[in-house]
Amino acid sequence: MTRTNTRRLIFLVVFLGVALPLIFNIDLTHHATPETRQAYTNIESLPDSAIVLVSFDFEASSWAEIKPLAEVLLAHVFARNLRVVGVSLFAEGTTLGEQILAAIAAEKGREYGVDYCYLGYRPQYVAAILGMGESITAEFPADYYGAPTKNLPLFADLHNYDQVNLVISIADGSMPTYWTEYAVAPYGVNLEVALTATMATAYYPYLSSGQISGLLAGLKGAAEYELLLKQAGGGKRGLFAQSVSQVVIMLVIIAGNVADYFRRRKPWK
Amino acid sequence: MIRKVATIVAFATGLFMLVQYFLNADIVSLIYRALLDYYQIIFAMTMIVGGITLFLNHARTIAHGQRAGWYSGATIAAILFMIIAALIYGTGADSPYQWAFNNMQAPMQATTFSLLAFFVASAAYRGFRVRSRAAAVLAISALLVLIGRNAFGEMISEYLPQAAGWLLNHPSVAAKRGILIGIGLGSVATALRVILGIERTYL
Repeated sequence: MTRTNTRRLIFLVVFLGVALPLIFNIDLTHHATPETRQAYTNIESLPDSAIVLVSFDFEASSWAEIKPLAEVLLAHVFARNLRVVGVSLFAEGTTLGEQILAAIAAEKGREYGVDYCYLGYRPQYVAAILGMGESITAEFPADYYGAPTKNLPLFADLHNYDQVNLVISIADGSMPTYWTEYAVAPYGVNLEVALTATMATAYYPYLSSGQISGLLAGLKGAAEYELLLKQAGGGKRGLFAQSVSQVVIMLVIIAGNVADYFRRRKPWK
Repeated sequence: MIRKVATIVAFATGLFMLVQYFLNADIVSLIYRALLDYYQIIFAMTMIVGGITLFLNHARTIAHGQRAGWYSGATIAAILFMIIAALIYGTGADSPYQWAFNNMQAPMQATTFSLLAFFVASAAYRGFRVRSRAAAVLAISALLVLIGRNAFGEMISEYLPQAAGWLLNHPSVAAKRGILIGIGLGSVATALRVILGIERTYL
């Protein structure tokens, strides 16, 4: 088989491996990993009306994987009657963060300004994270819709990280590193992260050191969280497709090695 | 002269940011807050400079009649559309800006990103070759984590997720932590070199 044909065959197998499970969706039995349980318990242990700062630190390209994570986390936070302050440190995450926060808040019957608010985007994430440590209203004088933040009832007892019980960074890149370096280390913030699966392994050292108090990774993390929360969502829907595609990748690796083994056994022409 | 002034500014700012962490005075807090504001203002200005440069480069491509002119035209049209739509109609939920973002930008980016799955599979077929003991350890670890973190892995055996968890929480963390400590020490050394004026390549 020529190199081009091999590539075409791999592309076809990957396409079928992703597309067919989405059509014939099957519920897979699965359990929550200790990391997901830790993230869940972390939110469960917060007192009533505690303030959670949710940072939407992702781009539109990873929306398919990030959306179920954001949905299930916000659903849990609102179900626990916690107050939410939304921000974004990525320009693209601003709109998507606003959409999902407003949608879940409306679904749970939360009131804007009292139970939640959205502050929008601030450029230069390091300065923004450090600035919120000094004063959130100084960093965000107005919310996403242009209303002065100091007039929002939510900010009556909210000034900086001292009043924030938990920060959740929903990210597809290295933004949780900056949250760890500039919010956890100097201000002692309680940080939980929800990441795309490819980024998760980079944050296990922070989890084991206690700098991150919870880690939720990819569609499987979302599906596990939905299991703990006893609600159906995008994580469970995508779990079968993602699991099958991962098996396809494994088979491709094995096939590549088998082909390589037989190729090397052939005598030189 | 300009280089000397820039070095002095870098020294003073770097030293202040280092020292302010240990001080608790209103004036220090005020200067610190002002510096953070300037940091964001400078960053926002670089975005404007970047936008103008992007626009000019593509305009030059069109003016020179190059083959990629159509793509440059599309880029400029998209930039202008988003800016004008946001200025006229705002960025609210029902605005044309929002419509273009939700129905054009987001799906296009997701499509490009999803193509990675095909290239990752193709690269895995060609690149993940077991030709040494180290490569064998790497491949077996990768396959164990893949199947252990997969819903099918749980169905095959309860030990597979445990094995994947052990690999992620012990050998992987140990290696990663070593790298992180190295990066941290390197960052401190580089920061000191900049503050003390030894490292001036940024000028």
